[in-house]
Amino acid sequence: MAQTPGSEARTGLKLISPTAIYVILLLAVPLATVLMYSVMTGGRGNVSLPLTFENYTELASKSVYGYLLLKSLMVALIVTAITVLLAYPVAYFVSFHVKPERKSLWLFLITIPFWTSYIIRVSLWFVILGYDGVLDKTLMALGIMDTQLNFSSYGIPAIIFVLAHAYAPFAVLPIFVSLEKVDRSLLEAGQDLGESRWVTFLRVTLPLSMPGVIAAALIVFIPTVGDYVTPKLVGDGKQPLIANFIETQLLKLQDFPQGSAFAVVSMLMVAFVSVLFVLANKRFIGGQK
Amino acid sequence: MTFSDDRPTMIEFKDVHKYYGDYHALRGINGTIKAGEFFSLLGPSGCGKTTLLRTIAGFEDISSGVIMIDGKDMAGVAANVRPTNMVFQSYAIFPHMSVEENVGFGLRKDPRSKEEKAKAVAEALEMVGLKGFGKRAAHALSGGQRQRVALARALILKPKVLLLDEPLSALDKKMREHMQVELIKLQRQVGITFILVTHDQEEALVMSDRIAVMFEGEIAQLADPETLYRRPATRKVADFIGTMNFIPAEILSEAGDKVEVNAKGLGHVALDIAQAPEKTGEAPVVGLRPETLTLLYDDQKAPERETDGVIDEVIYFGDMTYYDVYLGGTDVEVRLSMRNVPGRPVLDVGTKVRVAWSPSALVLFR
Repeated sequence: MAQTPGSEARTGLKLISPTAIYVILLLAVPLATVLMYSVMTGGRGNVSLPLTFENYTELASKSVYGYLLLKSLMVALIVTAITVLLAYPVAYFVSFHVKPERKSLWLFLITIPFWTSYIIRVSLWFVILGYDGVLDKTLMALGIMDTQLNFSSYGIPAIIFVLAHAYAPFAVLPIFVSLEKVDRSLLEAGQDLGESRWVTFLRVTLPLSMPGVIAAALIVFIPTVGDYVTPKLVGDGKQPLIANFIETQLLKLQDFPQGSAFAVVSMLMVAFVSVLFVLANKRFIGGQK
Repeated sequence: MTFSDDRPTMIEFKDVHKYYGDYHALRGINGTIKAGEFFSLLGPSGCGKTTLLRTIAGFEDISSGVIMIDGKDMAGVAANVRPTNMVFQSYAIFPHMSVEENVGFGLRKDPRSKEEKAKAVAEALEMVGLKGFGKRAAHALSGGQRQRVALARALILKPKVLLLDEPLSALDKKMREHMQVELIKLQRQVGITFILVTHDQEEALVMSDRIAVMFEGEIAQLADPETLYRRPATRKVADFIGTMNFIPAEILSEAGDKVEVNAKGLGHVALDIAQAPEKTGEAPVVGLRPETLTLLYDDQKAPERETDGVIDEVIYFGDMTYYDVYLGGTDVEVRLSMRNVPGRPVLDVGTKVRVAWSPSALVLFR
């Protein structure tokens, strides 16, 4: 049966409608709600008109908010840097030194930490790093330390440590994929043209794997900026980051407009940094097929 | 052809063996490659020709034996310090670099100034016919252009030996024929020893000063193209290079420098010992190339010998016609080729013909 363009379009809409409804209800509507709340007047536990930008001016007026944002950003960037730097050698090893038939086994092993819930893993770190935890007991038993180290009370360093561990597998996979795509004859060509293995790595392998590195950085950076569990459980909860602050605003103080405004600002910040990553990625992708 | 006889030796193989686990990839390679020679390693896939090339480049270690380049033993010499450069089968053009960055890749440690290096890159590009392509992105090039970039990138370093790993196999037929001629010209111009790996016997014949034909990890014959074509050392080589008719034969006598045989359909023939390469123990056959057999028209007379025959098949190529002919009332069928010149009609299947041939064109394998 011949179909008119109009009926074809209707069929198309019908076909994508489950997906479209899912996206609209679960992503677009909540986002729009947050955006709307952020410009409304708030009371305790409710929102009302008139529309106002006061929530945003409040954020801009107090340096403590800026400090909080900056601190979260720095933590996320440091976690990203550490994670990517540690993941690269792992990905490189699996891609270049593991026999092809064993590679999937290795990747499978790398994903094992994911079998345990993230929250449980973070709680376990608290058991290991916390006061009188596994680390302290071991160090004291070995006579290396004679007082409690209580690393988890160090706040920011403990948060960074735990986050870097939690996101390491996320970073390994995209870097591995980009390394797999590097034509091995290019490495032979590099050596054939007079460069050592190390210089060939710097001049050929590393630039060609940059798209994977940047993808890994994005994958780690975006969730760590908004991480809520780790600062809460590790670091004695004394070092709240963005997500913890938003939680306080929305759930404890029930100041929906103020919390929403903060959420919007942090989203914009993440978007900005992500765009920088994407632009950096373009520079590397631009030169290749 | 005596091109290579008086040249100094550039590469020498002494009993080179290579094992991959249990697999014996190179089985005692011996031979020399002369300076300034266009040398080809020819053979079917899996014969070890690429492995041999990679041992010269230093990408593969050898299990035993010696490879000398320009008088120096290459044992333990890494690929990046060998006086060789390679044009890879895939060309291995760096996709994240421009054409000129690719060509200048090997010049990093060159003490020359930036301007001089840029000039050298421009000259190398001009030499391979890519003048003005320097700023292009490598991924925007066609297959033929990539190959030229790979050539320029290798030649700019002025290696003693240029290694080419099936460089033309990825190109279409027209481009391939064009590049064959260009490569020959380029090799004459730069005077560098070229070693080409190919499975295409025609390509090897067209391009090379000398050819090593390899089967199963061994060199079956190392000779100039004409010798290889006219006097193949074994039936296998003869079969691999061009087309050859094999006719069962019986050795009647062998005395001094004469061998007398009775070839089925051809009759008694006296051959010079030079036409009979070393014995390999196979059943005796004589070989004849299609173009050494000629159909006789009307009252033409054969200059040497002639045999009756019947045409069994006609294959028309435009400039040439191939005929499959049964010889002298036997079941021996030979293929012969005739140029289609005016006044020489294409004959039909079943026509009775006379075939002229020359005993000197025969090769005896036994």
